[in-house]
Amino acid sequence: MDRRAFPSLGVGVGLRRPHYTHVLDTRPAMDWFEVIAENFMVDGGRPLEVLEAVRANYPIVLHGVSLSVGSTDPLNRDHLRRLAELARRFAPAWISDHLCWTGVGGRNLHDLLPLPYTDDTVTHVARRIRDTQDMLERHILIENVSSYLSYTHSTLTEWEFLAAVAETADCGILLDINNIFVSAFNHGFDARRYIDAIPIERVVQFHLAGHSDHGTYLLDTHDHPIRAEVWELYEYAVRRFGPVATLIERDDNIPEFDELQAEANEARRRSARAVVADHTRAE
Amino acid sequence: MELARLQNILYRLITAPGGVDEGLAKEQALGLDGLAELIRGDDRLSARDRLAIYANAYFYRLLDVCREDFPATAAVLGDAHFHNLITGYLLDYPPTEPSIQYAGRYLADFLRGHPLRASRPFIADLATLERTLIESFHAADATPLAAAALSALVPEEWPALELALHPAVRILDLEWHVEVVVRAVEEGNPPEAPRPGPLKLLVWRHNSRVHYRELEPGEAAALALAANGTTFAAICTAVADESGAADPAPLITQLLGKWLSAGLLLRRAP
Repeated sequence: MDRRAFPSLGVGVGLRRPHYTHVLDTRPAMDWFEVIAENFMVDGGRPLEVLEAVRANYPIVLHGVSLSVGSTDPLNRDHLRRLAELARRFAPAWISDHLCWTGVGGRNLHDLLPLPYTDDTVTHVARRIRDTQDMLERHILIENVSSYLSYTHSTLTEWEFLAAVAETADCGILLDINNIFVSAFNHGFDARRYIDAIPIERVVQFHLAGHSDHGTYLLDTHDHPIRAEVWELYEYAVRRFGPVATLIERDDNIPEFDELQAEANEARRRSARAVVADHTRAE
Repeated sequence: MELARLQNILYRLITAPGGVDEGLAKEQALGLDGLAELIRGDDRLSARDRLAIYANAYFYRLLDVCREDFPATAAVLGDAHFHNLITGYLLDYPPTEPSIQYAGRYLADFLRGHPLRASRPFIADLATLERTLIESFHAADATPLAAAALSALVPEEWPALELALHPAVRILDLEWHVEVVVRAVEEGNPPEAPRPGPLKLLVWRHNSRVHYRELEPGEAAALALAANGTTFAAICTAVADESGAADPAPLITQLLGKWLSAGLLLRRAP
């Protein structure tokens, strides 16, 4: 996998239902949109019609939530076929999903559960990512999730695990900066150490989002503006990985589109600043 | 621990209807202390509390989805009853589809045998209608037969014209006039108790929006025929028979105009 094979998209936002009409009617300035793939796995009607219209004017990325690449159930071939159909129809810049498991025994928890960080799990997940990539006939990106628990028998750190999976599977990485921040707090590790350990050549996209503070833990709720500490971590990541395609996620308490546009502009400003700072330092 | 075993135990603990503690009590080999074999706790959050974050998220995420998909059913039942309903529903019908949009697809079936029906006998019909509105919204696309296309045919071609229903059309046989409950909640009003039926309700999608109305005299048999694919002549006969009108032509013309403007009909290849 060569990350230069992926287009340089700039800064986008997640396309969500409350903004459909605004995006279609006003065609706002936005570099690209990411959509939740499963929301468009329907036979017809408004969602697909909207996506057609949006795709005519913007690049899109298909972001999945149910690949369950870490599950011990067989890969869901029907699901992958539907994903491949969507990809054929909408020609996304790329497809991503999460480094997690979402269910077992044919049942879906509709949540992104962490995996034990062991060599065996690396082998298991990497094989399934390779199978997925073969079926989709493209490299995919896998995303680090926010987590609230870790397993007693883990022998690797999360960043060692993520890097090993990506290397073994030969896939790209969607690095969620907020998820690193949330998990760093919840598990007591250093977020910058995590970022420093991720292979530069595999990172194709960043996610940015807001979280909520529950005192003893942080919850990845996507219902707040991006926090100052996450913006700082984003700049730190840009200094390491360069100006990677960035996506602002908001799934709850969804504000006016203008507010997301302002956050996208902020990401552009900070990304440019971090790149310049890094360049200056390098000289 | 083997990954499959780990995932199965966690699945059971997260979905335990009585909460994590009850789930742990049921896991014979796994008391609260035993949980440390699976999950690390620390001073800030115990292993049990960490697991409970996932258990709460599981239930409340699905509760939210069901409340969004069944706003009138939820309004009629109130928060406490709806909460308990979904707790029971998820036990019988745990989500299996990759998309969370299907999580509530069996709620009406579940309600048909539910004790809540004793005090609210219309509740399963109400959930049926709300689920049907979602199915119609997401049903396959097809190009409806346009009035202009029909006018372009010579009259001799009309009788043998093969017709079908648009994939987003549904005809519901209900025992209660639950459409008034859905309408009230859509308009932001408190749900009113529906009057008894029977009710034949037409649900359709036009320009991406879903609509519903009671069938008019003369429509039921004709649309039922069209659902399986039929000819224009057969539809005319069905309307005439159902209405019993001496001259059914005006009724046929009127109904046909309504069906075409709503995009209910498709032309089938003969």
